[in-house]
Amino acid sequence: MTATLEARGLAVDRGRRSVLRGVDLALHSGEGLALVGPNAAGKSTLVRALAGLLPLAQGEVRLEGRPLPGWPRSSLAQRVAVVAAEDQAPDRIAVEDRVALGRYPHRGALAPLTGEDRAAIARALRQTEIEHLARRPLGTLSAGERQLASLARGLAQEPSVLLLDEPASHLDVRHELHLFRVLDDVRRGGVAVLAVIHDLARAAAWAEHLALLDGGRIAAEGLPAEVLESEAAERAFGVAIRGVSVGQGPERLWRFEERA
Amino acid sequence: MSERDRRRLAFAALAIALPVAVLAALTLGSVPLPAGGVLRSTVARFGLGGPSPLPEMGEVILWSVRLPRVLIAALVGGGLAVVGAALQSLFRNPLADAGLLGVGPGAALGAVLAVNLGWAQQRFLAMPLAACAGALLALLLIYVIAHAGGRPTLSGLLLTGLAVSALAAAATSVLLVAVEEYRVRTVLFWLAGGLEGRGYEHLGLAAGFVLPGVVALLLLARPLDVLSLGEEEAAALSLPVHGFRILVFGLCAVVAGPVTAVAGAVPFVGLVAPHALRAVVGPLGRHLLPASFLAGAALVVVADLAARSFGQYVELPLGSVTAFVGAPYFLLALRGQEGRG
Repeated sequence: MTATLEARGLAVDRGRRSVLRGVDLALHSGEGLALVGPNAAGKSTLVRALAGLLPLAQGEVRLEGRPLPGWPRSSLAQRVAVVAAEDQAPDRIAVEDRVALGRYPHRGALAPLTGEDRAAIARALRQTEIEHLARRPLGTLSAGERQLASLARGLAQEPSVLLLDEPASHLDVRHELHLFRVLDDVRRGGVAVLAVIHDLARAAAWAEHLALLDGGRIAAEGLPAEVLESEAAERAFGVAIRGVSVGQGPERLWRFEERA
Repeated sequence: MSERDRRRLAFAALAIALPVAVLAALTLGSVPLPAGGVLRSTVARFGLGGPSPLPEMGEVILWSVRLPRVLIAALVGGGLAVVGAALQSLFRNPLADAGLLGVGPGAALGAVLAVNLGWAQQRFLAMPLAACAGALLALLLIYVIAHAGGRPTLSGLLLTGLAVSALAAAATSVLLVAVEEYRVRTVLFWLAGGLEGRGYEHLGLAAGFVLPGVVALLLLARPLDVLSLGEEEAAALSLPVHGFRILVFGLCAVVAGPVTAVAGAVPFVGLVAPHALRAVVGPLGRHLLPASFLAGAALVVVADLAARSFGQYVELPLGSVTAFVGAPYFLLALRGQEGRG
């Protein structure tokens, strides 16, 4: 199966410092991939590079087989949506209006809202279960609700690839479960989802595949259990990681301990 | 009251306030004209109704003195308010203003330079064009300096604006020293802001720049909204952030430059009108920009009326009137913003 989004030999520099080196990554339609790694491993940089928001020092990113620079801006944004950890939208903007701006790549500066746009906005609000907040200004929402509004903006783009940078960083456990349930739903609709996830146990529970980024390189990749139990993971995080099987299924509880 | 009702009410109030302010400014003054007479004279101008009931003197005052002045005031206020609203979206700060970002001082420098070099006397459009260029240069300079060390913080941006404004003002002062004495008075009065003695040629000049600039900014309302979400998100939504910013800067200069050339510095209008309206009509450009135009126009029409009604023989500088109202508003708003963190 060909990948929807694929990075080959990706390298990104910040000034003279190399942030990413030789990153190969493939993301398939309907797949859920969690990107994990210690602080400053280059996770956010990788997300932005995959979305075509950063100049590459080497390598390339291909969307549907075509390198990103070959895509017109709006076509690219119709297919790849990015949801950042920090929502910087103005406090006074209403949830629905913020979500509607996700239609910008489809509408441009002047086209009025079409039936298709309205349907996409309504679907995004329904899928994230924030329809009841539609007319509320963002400033009156909880951090969790605000994060869902951000996600709804990404869904309103109707992308084939959804990239999320620590979507659950501010969420309590209920909102976190809700968010990942929404992401599963999105995935089932055929969207390729890549999420940077800080909480390793959460990443392992949600994702089909894990990619471990360490020092700007992919140090391990594969099934969650394989990656977390790898030597590379222990080295990257500097802790001992142990998975404990629960019952008969593949599910595990994860234990993390400081290494002596 | 729903948000939509509140917005409709605000637009209705503005749509009434502006004509009322214009009518008041046309009727009041050292020679009062009856409102009914002004209205009937206007109707008569369009070849409808009977002849104008105003005496000949009244006709001259209305059509040659007051009307161009009032229309210029409306254009100045509306233009500055739209520029303020656009810059507030661009800098993602509800307290950004052309005056705080060097536009006014830059335009003033350009205009004074044009006077000083004698261009303004030789070529019809030299002064407004020089003011445009000065405003644009100031904005670009601030943008470039603030971006030189990576992404600028808001305070960095405003402080850069302060420094560039001070530089432009200093250069203006130096040029003023070099201006022949008889011109200094004119230039100083002009810098204080005012519409005394402005006629149709000034109106044509202001309208020729302000109206196209304002229309273009109104057409960019949606990309301005996208940019207000933050640089990253805007880029991810396909907006070419840098190019778009420079386009908006250019349009702001096209509006604010000639406004400064015609009316001098009229501070705080661009800050107060959009800032106050954001709470009422919401932050979306398609509501905020047109509402700001109406409110800014009404504000300056009233401010100019106040400036010339102050005394029988002296006029207050228009810029002082708007500053007396705007500066306290700015301080209160600043305190409110800091309180919110």
